[in-house]
Amino acid sequence: MSHAIIDAARSGGRSLLSEVEAKAVLADAGIPVTSTKLAANVDEAVGLADDFGYPVALKIVSDAITHKSDIGGVELGLSDADAVRAAFDRIQAAGKGAAPDAVIDGVSVQPMAASGTEVIMGMTKDPQFGPVLMFGLGGVLVEVLKDVAFRVVPLEPRDANQMVRDIKGFPVLEGYRGAPAADLGALESILMKLSEFAAANPEVSELDLNPIFAYDDGAIAVDARIVLSDQS
Amino acid sequence: MPDLNRVLNPKTVVVVGDKKASGYMWLNSLKTFTGNLYSVQLDEKEIPGIEELGIQNFSGLGEIPEPIDFVVCAVPRQVAPFIVKDCVENNVGGVTLFTSGFAETGEEEGQALQDTVEEMAREGDLALIGPNCMGLHIPELGIRFNVDQPAGVKGDVGFISQSGTHGMNFSLAGAAHGVICSKLISFGNGIILEAADYLRYLADDPDTKFIGMYIEGTHDGPRLIEALRYAVSKKPVVTWKGGQTEAGSRATQSHTASLATNQAVWEAIVKQVGALSVDSLDEMIDVMKALRLSKPAKGPGMALLAMTGGQSVVLTDAFAKEGWDVPLLSDESYAQFSEFFNIIGGSYKNPLDMAGTISQDPKNLDKILDIIDADDNIDALAVELSATFMARRWAKKPEEFERLLDSIASFRERSEKPLVTILHPAHVEAEALEARLKLQEREIAVFQSFERAAAAMAKVATLSEHNR
Repeated sequence: MSHAIIDAARSGGRSLLSEVEAKAVLADAGIPVTSTKLAANVDEAVGLADDFGYPVALKIVSDAITHKSDIGGVELGLSDADAVRAAFDRIQAAGKGAAPDAVIDGVSVQPMAASGTEVIMGMTKDPQFGPVLMFGLGGVLVEVLKDVAFRVVPLEPRDANQMVRDIKGFPVLEGYRGAPAADLGALESILMKLSEFAAANPEVSELDLNPIFAYDDGAIAVDARIVLSDQS
Repeated sequence: MPDLNRVLNPKTVVVVGDKKASGYMWLNSLKTFTGNLYSVQLDEKEIPGIEELGIQNFSGLGEIPEPIDFVVCAVPRQVAPFIVKDCVENNVGGVTLFTSGFAETGEEEGQALQDTVEEMAREGDLALIGPNCMGLHIPELGIRFNVDQPAGVKGDVGFISQSGTHGMNFSLAGAAHGVICSKLISFGNGIILEAADYLRYLADDPDTKFIGMYIEGTHDGPRLIEALRYAVSKKPVVTWKGGQTEAGSRATQSHTASLATNQAVWEAIVKQVGALSVDSLDEMIDVMKALRLSKPAKGPGMALLAMTGGQSVVLTDAFAKEGWDVPLLSDESYAQFSEFFNIIGGSYKNPLDMAGTISQDPKNLDKILDIIDADDNIDALAVELSATFMARRWAKKPEEFERLLDSIASFRERSEKPLVTILHPAHVEAEALEARLKLQEREIAVFQSFERAAAAMAKVATLSEHNR
């Protein structure tokens, strides 16, 4: 049984879920994500920020804009209502400047998660072998160093265990130069849940959780992207 | 799924369509077959040449006077459907279609012909191997597709190849290094039976102790993974994946999709199922040697027994790079070595430089091996047989080399620790080859460099890790 949000996106002819939608779907699958809600106007944004507690992050929500930070569509660490109002206006202006014809649904509001060791997890479909999960250290280095490990769905606990230890950067997760060790069990548990999620939702063709902040106790995804397969 | 048992254990083989232009390659390759070999050829011009080979020719499979277990089909593609039909009607055990010009051409006519052949074989439950393949090589039964392949010897490596060339190269170069196939199957386009089916067969085949596979792609990935899991549960499986195409050829919207290359996904599968993976023919042969002839090491401690001291640093590096330790020996070992080891131009630290000590008295090699066998810091041994200094001497005094082989062979009998030898051909390739063949005859693992030995032994060690 697929998720109502996925069904709605597909029947609307969309293949990319918004961050708010993606996180809602993942949260329902038991995957820890920062709670994120859509604000259509500036007052809603302030109201959500007050509810979450400060500091918060605002991100532009528009189907037409995929690389949000590149166009100035992301504002982090906003510490009070005035900062949220100012950021909301800047984001709206940046969005219109970058894509004048785009429909902008509003901004997403989420509490700032305490920073931790950044890792990336994701899923893609191999044309021959089906859904494949990826794990690596996150941030910009993932693209340069390609220090990632893959396993084919479904994962067994042993696969998740090996996956986090397979990468060359594993010592970073063990706690490097006095930094706290990452909660490997929490990371493995997310991988297992992603494996279940991929198996249960065949219409999801690609998924990125980037970054996930790993702490000495627990881990949480602070950004998420879900791509649906073309409808057939 | 058609049964492979009859075609892979044939008593009667028929070649359809062999011809002079190819030097009657099929009939000549199969003249070593231990059972009955017949030909089917309608072309009047070709028949005298076939009969000159002493092979009886018929005008159709129906005329062959006994049940047919294996048919080699070498006809042009337009004729192939008629032969496949003939195979079904005569209830043959199986057929390999050497014939090419099917789906691999990418053209419509080839695809249509392949569909026709596939439907006929499926309906007739025919074990069709190929098309576009070299088919079978079973040395024990003298079944070959190349006249240089071994015959009349029993091998223990089952090899599956999507490519005829890689299959042939493995059978030829492997044999030169003492690695003989139990059964080799080149399956080309794999329309009725593909890698998964052959894996399952070889997993259950009592003659096959190890499985090697060259593969580029599959029609059914999950089925291949299941077959790999099954095969790995029975015996070691070594895979060689060709076609390192980047996933970037597809449009992707995520980091994950852009990083998931074919090769990355295959490496993941290999780890998940507990198989081994290699990147070249040489590495495939090296790993098969290590699997066949050396026991799995119980730990990372490696003793390096060299004939010169100058290279000890790089030897240590070569093994360390593959995850081995080259530790100090125990105090007990050092105490024993100090009693007889020649340290003028020699050393017994680890790596050992033992040329002088052995040339003083050949029995010293046995003593050295025994001391290391008893040393708890050591889990495996690599012994250099220096062609540079010794190959010419061994050629002149073969009894000296035999003495050395005896020492190594007897160590293998009494020790739990794996021992491999290294024989770099240096500037004396002919003499080194002679020495290598003698080592192979005695079933002693011999590698052409320390680096290759270190890599192959490390691969084999990961197998025992997975099974822990």
